[in-house]
Amino acid sequence: MSTTTVLRDPTAEAAPVRRARRTPPWSLDDITVALMDIGKMRGDEFIDRLEQLFAERGVATKRWKKPTNTRTAPVEMLQEIAEEADVVVVALSDCGSCTSCSTHDLNDLDARGVPGVSVLTEEFRSAFAGQCETIGFDGASIFVPHPVQNRTTDQLYAMAENVIEDVICAITRRK
Amino acid sequence: MSIGVEDKAHDVMESAVSFKIYVKKACETCTLLQPLIARLVETEQATVFVQDDPAFFSPLAIDDSTLEQSFHDDIEVTPTLLKFVGSKEAERVFGWDRAEWRRITGLADLGEDLRAFQPGCGSKSREPGVYEHLVARFGDSGLESRKIVITGFEDPLEAAFERGWTDGLPIVPPTDERILRMLGGTRRDKHEVVGRVPPNLSPVTIEKIAINAVMAGCKPEYMPVVIAAVEAALEPVFTMHGLLCTTCFSGPIIVVNGPIAKRIGMNWGMNALGQGNRANATIGRALQLIIRNVGGGIPGDLDRSTLGGPGKYTFCFAEDETDPSWEPLSVARGLERGENAVTLFQGDGIQGVVDQRSATPEQMAKSLAMSLLAVGHPKLAEFTNAMLVLSPEHYAIFRNAGWDRARITAELHAEMVRPGEELVFGAQGVGEGIAADRAGEMVNKFWPEGLLIVRAGGQAGLYSAICGGWTGGRFRHESQPVTRRIAL
Repeated sequence: MSTTTVLRDPTAEAAPVRRARRTPPWSLDDITVALMDIGKMRGDEFIDRLEQLFAERGVATKRWKKPTNTRTAPVEMLQEIAEEADVVVVALSDCGSCTSCSTHDLNDLDARGVPGVSVLTEEFRSAFAGQCETIGFDGASIFVPHPVQNRTTDQLYAMAENVIEDVICAITRRK
Repeated sequence: MSIGVEDKAHDVMESAVSFKIYVKKACETCTLLQPLIARLVETEQATVFVQDDPAFFSPLAIDDSTLEQSFHDDIEVTPTLLKFVGSKEAERVFGWDRAEWRRITGLADLGEDLRAFQPGCGSKSREPGVYEHLVARFGDSGLESRKIVITGFEDPLEAAFERGWTDGLPIVPPTDERILRMLGGTRRDKHEVVGRVPPNLSPVTIEKIAINAVMAGCKPEYMPVVIAAVEAALEPVFTMHGLLCTTCFSGPIIVVNGPIAKRIGMNWGMNALGQGNRANATIGRALQLIIRNVGGGIPGDLDRSTLGGPGKYTFCFAEDETDPSWEPLSVARGLERGENAVTLFQGDGIQGVVDQRSATPEQMAKSLAMSLLAVGHPKLAEFTNAMLVLSPEHYAIFRNAGWDRARITAELHAEMVRPGEELVFGAQGVGEGIAADRAGEMVNKFWPEGLLIVRAGGQAGLYSAICGGWTGGRFRHESQPVTRRIAL
């Protein structure tokens, strides 16, 4: 069975084929950042450090953890994030299934009014781009070195420290 | 210049005669010709293509159940015999015509035992809906709109939502075959630019109209009405730009007049302003999708309506022209009776008028006028237009007393003239109203041309409906309803 369908664009084609992500806020003042752990091993350590780094900057965060990285997030979790948070950091994808599923989560949350960024390892740069292409979404991403599974906790913390400013830029309009 | 061996061989190839025969098992004539065709295959280098059952003529035939070859050879009838000289088609014959088959094949004894003539059947490649599918699959669709490839197991309906193409309800995926079928509903060139759609003032082609009509769920035969509605909406005096961006409730309401309403199955009877009729529902929706998708009129972006209204999904109905005593809206607005037309009115959802007691035309006029005075705000005047949808039972009260459209309109206007002092800002303890300097005037509720009356609705029910007009109507000459002929 063919699983490819070709549709024709009903719009004036002024915008790119991919849907731009929702415009993030100017700053993180009075904003709650959702830290969404995709449920992959070692990701929680990276997020622990992100959480501390946000706290040091006086930014409120709230954590969620998917039951498994191999599926998209449960609808209840997505609804809860939409209700309780303003922007989202989705981390840390270092495999194919988790990249695909977390990109859908990023897109789904964006559609619910929560713009965000996905943190992935370098190996999955093309997988993220491909998934974005398929769902027509211009998602934001930040890449950290691959692999992560064999790193020490300190190394994972250092990764978080290296990208925190990029993460803040990605979830705000700060350049 | 000498001719080489290869060139000679090429010339021989180019002059070689061959035949193609297209058949289908379901065709009685094809079955009748089976022995004759088998002979042609064996002796005359004929190739047989079977459109339906690959076992028919097996193993002599080529399976063309995809209809690709039938499409490329533009087969309209089975059987069709084609003669090729080299790679070029020389001639063809449809059905069984003994003299023609003999002449083309050069076989003087062909079909001796058969009657002289027997017509064939329609080619499967020409069955309804099939041809456009084949163009989309094997041909050049000629469509210019950007291709959006939906891969994997993604649902095209969800993809349309993701891309922001819908009004919140599912759409029909705009595939090439559906778009081509839709374009079959108009004679207009698909690349023709009809106008520029606000708010982005983006050009809209017949092709873009067809894509959005597919998405809305239209049938191809609705296309002339959809195109006329788009053209009417884009006439400057309709002020579609302001109507889309307004904070008010309004959107375009489409009234269809003329025989086309019945021909495409529109509803002007029971529940005419409601759900349940495909033409009513999808023609109005197509216009709204074009404004959204081509024009960029997205609620919350440039569509700034405070509350909106359900009519902004779709609001389209036909006028009841079955009562010869009634002058249709399009005729009142300058067209001939029997001409197909759309009238676009900038209006809101409905306000019901319940009057089950008035029995004389005078009572009925006063009664309807009381309700009409509430349009926009009871204290506003010459501020909006209005559409009154008069039901059969309410109209009968007027008709039985000899009142026609002109009389009803005049009497309604007369019942809506009020002393300015009651309407000025602050009067009656209400801030809203008209300018203080009009306190000494007698003031009309609507401009003389600003009350549109349409007849529709089920036979039972002493109710009518009012669609309040947009506040842009206060600029009498700048923003007006538009009536336009439908070109078939």
